[in-house]
Amino acid sequence: MATVIAVVEDDQDQRDNYVDVLTAHGYEVRAYADKPSAEAGFERELPDLALLDIMLGEDMDGGFDLCMELRKLSPTLPVIFLTARNSDADRISSQRMTAWDYITKPVSLEFLVARVHALLRISEQLQQGSPESSVFSVGDLELDEKSMLVHWQGQPVSLTLTEFWIIESLTRNPGHVKSYQTLSDVTRQGLVERNTINGYIRRIRNKFRELDSNFDRIQTVHGTGYKWERDPE
Amino acid sequence: MGARSRVIGRKGPRESTKRIDQKKHRGESGIRPGLKIRTKLLLLVVSLLAIPWMGYESVREMERFLLEGQEQALELTTQGISSLLGNRSDLFDPGVGVPEVIGRTSRPLPTEIEQSLSIDAAASGWMSAIGQLTNFTGFGLFECDRDYQPDSLAVRHGVAIDPEQLFAYFEVDDDIIILRDPDLVSLNNSDQLRMTVQAGSGAISRYLFTTTEPGRVSIYLMRDNWREAISGDAVREVAGVLDLTERGYLIKLRIPRDLLGVGARLKFEIVDVDDISSRVVSRVISTEPDPTQLGIGRVRLATPELTKLIQPLYLSEANITIWDRGYRLRAQVGSIFPPAREGFDLKSEQLAWPFANIEAVITRFYEWILRSPARGLKDMPVDSSQEDYRLLGRVLAEGQPKSERRRYGDAKLIVTAAPIWAEGSIDGVVLIKQSGNKLLSLQHRTLQRFTLLFLGVFLFLSVAILVFSTRLTYRVGRLQRETEQAATPEGRLLKDQIRPGARSSDELGSLTRSISGLLHNLGQYTRYLEKLPDTLAHELHNPLNVVNSSLENLQYHHHELVDDKHLQRARNGIGRLRSIITSLTEAASLKEALSHEQEERFDLAALIDGCVDGYQAVNPKHRIVSTRVAGPMIIEGVPDRLAQMLDKLIDNAVQFGADQGLIVVNLRKNADGIELTVANDGPSLPVDIVDRLFDPMVSSARDARKTHLGLGLYIARLVAEFHNGTVVARNRAGDRGVEVVVSLPAARVATR
Repeated sequence: MATVIAVVEDDQDQRDNYVDVLTAHGYEVRAYADKPSAEAGFERELPDLALLDIMLGEDMDGGFDLCMELRKLSPTLPVIFLTARNSDADRISSQRMTAWDYITKPVSLEFLVARVHALLRISEQLQQGSPESSVFSVGDLELDEKSMLVHWQGQPVSLTLTEFWIIESLTRNPGHVKSYQTLSDVTRQGLVERNTINGYIRRIRNKFRELDSNFDRIQTVHGTGYKWERDPE
Repeated sequence: MGARSRVIGRKGPRESTKRIDQKKHRGESGIRPGLKIRTKLLLLVVSLLAIPWMGYESVREMERFLLEGQEQALELTTQGISSLLGNRSDLFDPGVGVPEVIGRTSRPLPTEIEQSLSIDAAASGWMSAIGQLTNFTGFGLFECDRDYQPDSLAVRHGVAIDPEQLFAYFEVDDDIIILRDPDLVSLNNSDQLRMTVQAGSGAISRYLFTTTEPGRVSIYLMRDNWREAISGDAVREVAGVLDLTERGYLIKLRIPRDLLGVGARLKFEIVDVDDISSRVVSRVISTEPDPTQLGIGRVRLATPELTKLIQPLYLSEANITIWDRGYRLRAQVGSIFPPAREGFDLKSEQLAWPFANIEAVITRFYEWILRSPARGLKDMPVDSSQEDYRLLGRVLAEGQPKSERRRYGDAKLIVTAAPIWAEGSIDGVVLIKQSGNKLLSLQHRTLQRFTLLFLGVFLFLSVAILVFSTRLTYRVGRLQRETEQAATPEGRLLKDQIRPGARSSDELGSLTRSISGLLHNLGQYTRYLEKLPDTLAHELHNPLNVVNSSLENLQYHHHELVDDKHLQRARNGIGRLRSIITSLTEAASLKEALSHEQEERFDLAALIDGCVDGYQAVNPKHRIVSTRVAGPMIIEGVPDRLAQMLDKLIDNAVQFGADQGLIVVNLRKNADGIELTVANDGPSLPVDIVDRLFDPMVSSARDARKTHLGLGLYIARLVAEFHNGTVVARNRAGDRGVEVVVSLPAARVATR
């Protein structure tokens, strides 16, 4: 049975392009132009993954509404927000909706497909509850690469896919500086400004600090990048 | 320098406003020279000075009116008296009248006595009979030349009459008494008494009273030189006694009234000789007003009954006199002088109140403005009989009541006269003189009160207007300050409303609200403009995404096109478009993002070192070095943002610096705080945009293929301002390039 991906995008050109590339990669795509048709579609058939544009026509938060609908139907369904808006407020909202990823336009289709692959794999992993988990830990941090689960001091940290990739990259070699360039590649978004990386790091820190107000593992190496501080021995 | 300057977005209006500003500073903007509001209002207050002038004028008018009223009242009184005395020829019978010795109108009438006085009686008896003596040494009545010394010669004199005789009594103070030397023939070389009598017929006889020793005096009828007697025989009808006293001598005279006759006039002179050897007359005291003019004044023919008749008509500060046809004074009542001169002395009216000094100053002030009536009284002549005679003459000749006002210096005298008729002929004249100075005094007091009142009002108004104008000036100044502070000199809005003074309900408050509203609208527009890039970026994202995803699809489906040069160029174009949009959003969202940033304590020096290393790695075409004093520099701030600012400054330096040039990042601490300088080799700053470099969308770009939105320095400015700092760009010394200096305040430096 083919994997079904729902695409909700009000711009027909973009929608068709998403449909084209995903279809070319072997996915079965259900494309919707607005919220009512998407809701009706979700009622009929629950997709394996949803790509949602936040702004649907006149409906400024149509994507968020749809995400909530999907969460009611399936708490673990991977959702990717595709948006032209790049504000912290939107990111925080998407986080509250437990969206799995948040990509700002313009989107590189190549990276989009990679993200879809990754998320589907993780989703699959979570649903199967695979025994062969590939957890590795750095100090208080536990990181499951396959199920994208991160725990800090035993508590789960809710990260988006991009954030997870950044943490994964930083903790791969604790103490080593990851340059902006490296981190930019890791986010798999194409050209990424330093400021965008700074934004990701800031949000990651904030998430950790919600659990542990003394969290200071991610160190800034000014002008260069970031590193994951090794635990003091 | 060949740099092509490009200004995206707003341009023009700011330049023109700046030009106006500059004009204003040079004073060429056509502002008319003029006064400030406060000065104008104070000038307005000065115009209040017209009020005292009006007051003065009205008081003058009032004075005129009152004087007129007074004159009319006096006229009525005069006519009343004249009709009272009409057809009473008996009162004016010359035989009835009592001749009075001395022609002074103000002198008391002779005392009438029942019993005749003995010439040998004691002086005390005479004095008690005569009553009050007239003092010729004091003020007023006695007039003498300047070097007169009262110690040397003084005379007290009194007259009494009985039906038969006239008694004259003289007390003379004389330091050196020189009596007649019988060996000398001349009679004018000793202390003596002279009497001049003008009979009703006009014939003049002169009597000399002299003696060689105290006791009975010899009386001679003299020639007009007073040296020789007409005959050697002494006059027998007249008797006189001279007695020595402690201070001089006294003389008692008894003169039969028959000798004088009806309507006689008479004058006494006390002659003093002080030098025993030369025996020259040193002084003469005369009972006539003018001692130098030894002529004879008019004598009064007092009618006691007449006096009694007019006595009840006493008027305050008025002198009522009744004259007969022969210009003889028959009766008089009252004096034009107030009972006590002190009555006019304002100082005596002063109450003992705490502001006596102020009162004194004010008194002096208005005495300076208006002459004191007390001074006017001093000008009042004691004797104005000459003018009186003139008026009497006119009344007698025309038979009509007359009135006139006289001025003697500051003294005012109202004189009215009316004829007294008796069966078709004029018996006499009633003449009333009243001082107008009483009115002047009233006027003076009115002016005084008015002056005080006015001064009070003037002061109050001045202070009120001063306070009001100061408040107004303050409010206008505050509004001006607030308006000027609402925007930077470059025209950037700092606040979008003015609170102080906006709640006032008056026009200024309304103006404040208008300006505040204007600023608010301007602020909204500015915010709209600031948001415009973000909105624009957002709107551009979608079509860009269409192009991008379409290209990728094209590439995916047509693998042979991967290296197609046109596809490649399209990708380049998308990349540039993307970076434009990214920088637009970066600048637009920075303001909002900064407000969420949390400040922390960190080492700025380490940050700069790290950054500079990183920059060198990505910009191999330039040499980027950091020069700074050793050691950490711990400050409080947002490190990410400061690094972002440094990114932009380095980008700017790389972009505009010479290839292979040196870029120096310098960090140092001075008294004002921290100074971070990024200097690069290369061309100087373009003059036309130098003061707008840090505004968004301002750039002097040289390479059309690179994107220069002019947002980098704007971002640097936002970050610097977020840290309460400033950023300026200037040419390096010797035009070797440009340096951008970020100054952060000392408060940013962590104390520990």
